[in-house]
Amino acid sequence: MSLALRIRDLIKDHAGEKALKGISFEVPEGALFGIIGADGAGKSTLMTILATLMDADSGEVEELGLDLKKDFKILRHRIAFMPQRFSLYPDLTVVENLHFFADLYDLDPAEKQKRLSDLLKFSALEPFQKRRAGLLSGGMKQKLALCCCLLHRPSLIYLDEPTVGVDPVARRDFWILLKSLKSEGITLVVSTPYMDEAKLCDTLLLLDHGKVLDSGSPREMLSRYPYSLYRIRGPKPLAYSARKEPPQGVSLVYPAGGELRAAVDGGMNASQDDLWKDFPGANASESMTPDIEDLFFALLSREQASLEKTVK
Amino acid sequence: MKASLRRILVAGHKEFLHIIRDPQTLAIVILMPVIMMFLYGYALNSDIHNAQLLVEAPVPSAASRALTSRLNASTFFSVPGSIPASADPLQPFRSGQARALLRLPPDFEASLRRPGGAALQVIVDGSDPSVGSRMRGAVEGAVQKTLMDYLDIEPPHILDQRAVVLYNPEQRSAMFFVPGLMAVILLMISALLTSIAITREKETGTMGQLLITPLRPGEIIAGKLLPYVVLASLDGLLILIVGRLIFGVQVAGNLFFLAICSLIYVFTALSIGLLVSTIAKRQHHAMMMALGATMMPTVILSGFIFPISSMPLFLQVIAHIVPATYYLQIVRGIILKGVGLRELWQPLLILGFEGLLLFGLSIRKFRIKL
Amino acid sequence: MQASIETRDLTRRFGSFIAVDRLTLRVERGEVFGFLGANGAGKTTAIRMLCGLLQPSSGTGKVAGCDIQTETDGIRSRIGYMPQKFALYPDFSVEMNMRLYGGLYGLKGQALRDRMDVISRLLNLEPLLSQRTDSIPWGWQQRLNLACAILHKPEILFLDEPTASVDPVSRRHFWDIIAELAASGTTIFVTSHYMDEVEYCGRVAILVQGRIAALDTPVGLKTTYGHASLGEVFLDVVERAQTTSSTQ
Ligand SMILES: Nc1ncnc2c1ncn2[C@@H]1O[C@H](COP(=O)(O)OP(=O)(O)OP(=O)(O)O)[C@@H](O)[C@H]1O
Ligand SMILES: [Mg+2]
Repeated sequence: MSLALRIRDLIKDHAGEKALKGISFEVPEGALFGIIGADGAGKSTLMTILATLMDADSGEVEELGLDLKKDFKILRHRIAFMPQRFSLYPDLTVVENLHFFADLYDLDPAEKQKRLSDLLKFSALEPFQKRRAGLLSGGMKQKLALCCCLLHRPSLIYLDEPTVGVDPVARRDFWILLKSLKSEGITLVVSTPYMDEAKLCDTLLLLDHGKVLDSGSPREMLSRYPYSLYRIRGPKPLAYSARKEPPQGVSLVYPAGGELRAAVDGGMNASQDDLWKDFPGANASESMTPDIEDLFFALLSREQASLEKTVK
Repeated sequence: MKASLRRILVAGHKEFLHIIRDPQTLAIVILMPVIMMFLYGYALNSDIHNAQLLVEAPVPSAASRALTSRLNASTFFSVPGSIPASADPLQPFRSGQARALLRLPPDFEASLRRPGGAALQVIVDGSDPSVGSRMRGAVEGAVQKTLMDYLDIEPPHILDQRAVVLYNPEQRSAMFFVPGLMAVILLMISALLTSIAITREKETGTMGQLLITPLRPGEIIAGKLLPYVVLASLDGLLILIVGRLIFGVQVAGNLFFLAICSLIYVFTALSIGLLVSTIAKRQHHAMMMALGATMMPTVILSGFIFPISSMPLFLQVIAHIVPATYYLQIVRGIILKGVGLRELWQPLLILGFEGLLLFGLSIRKFRIKL
Repeated sequence: MQASIETRDLTRRFGSFIAVDRLTLRVERGEVFGFLGANGAGKTTAIRMLCGLLQPSSGTGKVAGCDIQTETDGIRSRIGYMPQKFALYPDFSVEMNMRLYGGLYGLKGQALRDRMDVISRLLNLEPLLSQRTDSIPWGWQQRLNLACAILHKPEILFLDEPTASVDPVSRRHFWDIIAELAASGTTIFVTSHYMDEVEYCGRVAILVQGRIAALDTPVGLKTTYGHASLGEVFLDVVERAQTTSSTQ
């Protein structure tokens, strides 16, 4: 299979600080590729560079078979990019914004009409077509921005946290849309703070402090989960603060939805069936399989915790 | 080529929407030329009209009365009547009652017919040098003419000196400031609006988005400029219409030629705005820079108000860089003198060259990355 | 006891469009109240009215005992508001932003310094104080935003999508702080599109097209609608409301 992206040793300094410290990875053509990581890990810097809008300090990038540095002008015709804080023209209406971007891409009129109505439906912006974009709610603006990026059919699409502020219904529909773009053979590179979305990607890249911490398919990455995970029912989740030291033998405790999760070192251990006894207010605990969010915690929260402790 | 033109039109259409969505700015752009014309036309007028002239006649006589009524009849002056001799002839100037004072001796009537003639004194307010000297000339001329008629003598035939004033025979300043305002307003509007329009795109973050659409940098720029060319042309037309209807300024030369020259000038002005926008990061920076780069040099150095030939050398050098200098030569040539390409090719060539230079420079400097 | 927030038929129209439709609710002191809804449901509009920043078209409301139409000055000194859009000065240092906001609320001198110390310790902002605000990661900018909103010890805290775009670990820390504030008696009124963290709220309202379509504790909602998670409840409520409105 041919590659949409091949990246070797990408380095970028931002105002004296190292934003990317030598990143290498590959994305096969037609993949749905997810980038996750803590705030400030370098996701947006990476995407802005790949979208030809910023120069890296060093490193090699081959994008759609072209050299990023030399052929960025040609690449610009073949990619799309939705930056993290995309802004529209607030003084133009919803349809005017859409038409402007659509018209730049010389779409066939029937095709254009079809895509416009599809996108308006997905975004639930149909009743608000005549409203000026500046008067939309935050999430509606985000959805409109998304629509503007999805009007044409490039070979490669970069989406930097496209669903932030987007409600759950629209998020679900958005991922259905992404899958259908993928089925058309388009390569998608998406970053997201939602771990349930990360699970839907073919391949994930976990960035941390400008370095690749882990990558692989969600299943592969989960197979490397280092703890045994338990769910603990009963206590009010927030009553157990992350600032407290976890009980003996437990590495991590954090709330997840209506329950607590405890990550325990060293695999299965019979005595841990009554793990809940260490938590005030708890009444049951059971072992569970981790998901991406648990993995994120396992790999990143130790570091965060140590940061917080050095602060104290 | 065709696709490129289409994209330029798409971008131009979007820019046009921005303009009509902001009625306040649009109103300013359309009203500003009119307001400035009225300001220049009425307030900054150096034409002399009904200036207060006092005639000091210690002993009123037939001659002094003839003089007074003759002066009063001219449109330059209004003479409230003659006043008796005063101890302090400057008092009416200090109090602002008079702009000019004509002092006659007590024996005026008699001394007129004596050999050696009568001694008169004209005092004028010279705060505004050009108005002062014109008042002086007007009083002296009127006195001479009245007294000759009064004494019924012919002027001596030593020299027959006749002056002809060309192009603006009545010496009306409207003929002078209408071309000047064309130069100032076209430059300001074009440079200011384009520089703001492009920096706004950077400030809101939409520039990055435009850069990765099929729009090429040149097309982004062309699309941006398009609506402002239209707007500036409208303003030019407005100035000509108001100049004609209200200030009676007729264009002596070819209107079509004037339009072409103005478009070249607008192109140069837009390029200045463009260049500013490649440097400025925020809209207010762009505004200050564009104003600084256009307003001051145009008003002061282009020869609009102060003649270039009387500037010190280094300012003359700068004046010959300012595009408005050349445009002013061209519009004055067309509006006042009615001349055409044969006489104006030189400034036109320089103007066009400057435009191309600035445009090329700003395209090169236009950031294709963030 | 007096409620922290109490509204009756609060409505806001923009032209003929009704953004918030006869909103009636009551939030007690120290409660963590989750305010959910699809994009454009009217959450931000409602919050802006409660903060005295936007005049209602009709209806009444009291926040911290002050009338939202007539006593807006009283409201502003008693509440903290963290808007959906970042509202700090990106080119100022973290410390300058805090000082500025403290000053706006009338804190000065030693009192301001003490309070800034307490807050930056609570939010772990200490190592960042001298940095430029736009140079720190987004999650930390949001913490600073929160810090500025609680400097003056507000009785009620309005948080409009405080954790949008914040990573999972930082979001837990954020909610830790929210829990601490609530435990000390601050009323929290919060919106979010993360359905897992909404479980931490005491009660949750789901807004559909400006109207409250469901209001209960998380456990209550899950039982009523028969779903295992609030995410499913949300989808259910919103979709039911949409089908009824489209069949009308
Ligand atoms: N000034 C305004 N003029 C016209 N319509 C407005 C105005 N302000 C808000 N609206 C409309 O009111 C509706 C509700 O907006 P609001 O910002 O309250 O939504 P929200 O629930 O906060 O959504 P989100 O989850 O996207 O933040 C939207 O349809 C929006 O377009
Ligand atoms: Mg909102």
